[in-house]
Amino acid sequence: MNPKILIIIPAFNEAGAIARLLDEIQTAFPQADRIVINDGSQDLTEENALKTGAFVATLPFNLGIGGAVQTGFQVACDGNYDIAIQVDGDGQHDPLYIRDLVKPILEGKLDLCIGSRFLENPPGAFQSTFARRTGIRFFCRLLELLTGLYLTDPTSGFRATGKKLIRVFSDFYPIDFPEPEAIKIAKRHGAKIGEIPVQMRERQSGRSSIRSLATLYYMIKVTFALLIDLLKKKS
Amino acid sequence: MQARTFALVMTSLILFFVINLIRRQKMSFKYALAWLLSTSLTLLFTIQEAWLQTISKWAGFALPSNFVFFLLLIFVILFSLLLTLHINEQNSRSETLAQAIAKLDYRLKKLEKESEKKI
Repeated sequence: MNPKILIIIPAFNEAGAIARLLDEIQTAFPQADRIVINDGSQDLTEENALKTGAFVATLPFNLGIGGAVQTGFQVACDGNYDIAIQVDGDGQHDPLYIRDLVKPILEGKLDLCIGSRFLENPPGAFQSTFARRTGIRFFCRLLELLTGLYLTDPTSGFRATGKKLIRVFSDFYPIDFPEPEAIKIAKRHGAKIGEIPVQMRERQSGRSSIRSLATLYYMIKVTFALLIDLLKKKS
Repeated sequence: MQARTFALVMTSLILFFVINLIRRQKMSFKYALAWLLSTSLTLLFTIQEAWLQTISKWAGFALPSNFVFFLLLIFVILFSLLLTLHINEQNSRSETLAQAIAKLDYRLKKLEKESEKKI
């Protein structure tokens, strides 16, 4: 029997990029259902997404990336999906890599497969700013220290999740800046975590949820969240 | 004596105001409890000044007024902590509600799509 796969696309005011992204996903990976979690957008994100034939769940107000992604996991859990894939609504994640992301999960090798920008580093590919790269390196080391697992791109939101973790993330998913913390939670639940190389594109519209002034808050919040997670019971 | 009368009047007014809020169902007993306790205690100390002096002396405060300020500070800190907790609880509830609405929205659209196909 074919596994049920759901592609979760959190989107906040991404009317400019969403339709194209959904069409690309449909072409690259037609066997999956697509659901856009419209995170309280005030533009035409919902209408443009619906036109492509994708499912849309609209949140009545903006919850932030974590709340939106968790809604996707809840839909995946309720719908008894075997795999959930996160793809950002801004078009940074190239749907051509979805197949590679899913493969280790289908083969039972991983429970959480992350698309990493830094695993293979072709010159000229979009690689984010220096400050962000420094922050990413900090989290790589911190996660390694806390979990013994070295990942090259723990802040990447381009990831595939197996059934076991869908239930975990459906119950609890960090609200803001969730990616590194989600890895720590997955590890606490005994998940097998790994990476595959991907290339990311420049944002096609909208703004990043991590802006310069918020960077310091981001670093402190995520570090604190990771340390607090240490105090939680192992599952 | 004037200060004592002033404290008595102010505390009684606050106590009356809180009780009135409960009576008009503007404040539930759960959230009024901290106010009721603190105003009652202040009222008790205002009436029985000797008790305040004994307790503050026992607690090691040179002046009873310092003891009152200390109690006030503790109350304000505790109360803001409780309010933070309450805000978090409300936040988490509204988030759960928003997610439930989004899931219903998804199911409704899915059902509409399926029924359109059947027609």
